[in-house]
Amino acid sequence: MIVQGDGTKPIYIQIAEWLETEILSENIKPDEKIYSQYQLAEMYNINPATAAKGLTILANEAVLYKKRGLGMFVSSKAKAIILKKRKGQTLKNLVTDLVSEAKRLDVSEAELIGMIKLANSQGEGK
Amino acid sequence: MKVIECNQVSKVYGNHHAVDQLSFTIEENKITGLIGRNGAGKTTLLKIIAGYLRKTSGEMNVFSEEPFNNLKVSANMIFVDDQMNFPTALNLGELLKAADSFYENWDMELAKRLFDYFSLNPKQRHDSLSKGMKSTFNMIVGLASRCSLTIFDEPTTGMDVSVRKDFYRALLKDYIAYPRTIILSSHLLNEIEDILEDILLIKDGEKYLHMSVSDVKEYAVGISGEGTIVNQWTKENEILYKKSLGTGSSYVVVKNDFTESMLERAKLAGLKISPVAAEDLCIYLTSKTNGGIDDVFDRS
Repeated sequence: MIVQGDGTKPIYIQIAEWLETEILSENIKPDEKIYSQYQLAEMYNINPATAAKGLTILANEAVLYKKRGLGMFVSSKAKAIILKKRKGQTLKNLVTDLVSEAKRLDVSEAELIGMIKLANSQGEGK
Repeated sequence: MKVIECNQVSKVYGNHHAVDQLSFTIEENKITGLIGRNGAGKTTLLKIIAGYLRKTSGEMNVFSEEPFNNLKVSANMIFVDDQMNFPTALNLGELLKAADSFYENWDMELAKRLFDYFSLNPKQRHDSLSKGMKSTFNMIVGLASRCSLTIFDEPTTGMDVSVRKDFYRALLKDYIAYPRTIILSSHLLNEIEDILEDILLIKDGEKYLHMSVSDVKEYAVGISGEGTIVNQWTKENEILYKKSLGTGSSYVVVKNDFTESMLERAKLAGLKISPVAAEDLCIYLTSKTNGGIDDVFDRS
């Protein structure tokens, strides 16, 4: 991942999302140590405080847990928490955008659902 | 620990207030970006902090002491700009050795490695260097001195893009290994914002805002769409910038006082919500009019 500096998404959120993806793809497994703020800062050329903010988000969501003096580790429920969050927030936001664009284009609800069904069946056919 | 405490500091030249009743504090081991337009008072402020200039009034403490004419401050602080004065009798190699004897934490190995990387010639003299090479050499001195307070005033003058990028990366890497208080003034906020922790924005010698970079990025929000709907949604907010796009639609930047659900509803009302880059925000905040340069050409 390359951090997008264009301001569309705060960097600490991009860091948090990248870590989530690393956890989902099991590059970092439960109870393994996650990158420190300094490693992340060095990897992405960002201020360590920004990297720490990304880690804090995940710690507050219980994706990570702290071990005193040792750093942060991936919790056993990490994957489930991330999946739930992505469905509830990321997907929901995408749907909101989809609906407002459909409104602008005068696409009816039935038509939109039809398009979703079509995309879904094409995805499965691959 | 507070490294810099600035309380109601002013610097007056004749009847011009270069720095006007400025108050802020800078905590230890943070990288702060000092941002402002030309003539906003950045260099004057940095020179007061460095102890090069005497303030007219107010209270300035650096390492809990008044910096002007202060040995403790000058031993623990380095001020890097494009007018650094080096003795013309010494060549670059000799200058590094002199710096070594001067600064307690000087890292000669780092200095030499950077020196080689940027292909500087130790036999050359400082006054014969090109603008960009001069800035590169000054930057090496600034990094290798590892002073607890390191001030870079427009350090990248004349540097090409790749040297600037190398410099920012070198600064960050050395900061991670040896945390220290760094102030970086620059016109190129989009280039430096990633490595900054805080931004101090000044306008006409006064503090405009001082907050973390991530807060600056969320400080304002851009709203575009049909003019009447945009106006309806932004009438209660402080407008920072306004621009008409084509007939009837407009783009407005307002202070972000919206809640998530309000933004959600604005989107459903057909408005486009976009974040405002830190650099653009600083331009809008320090601009004298809401329309920027366009206002000059607008004679209607």
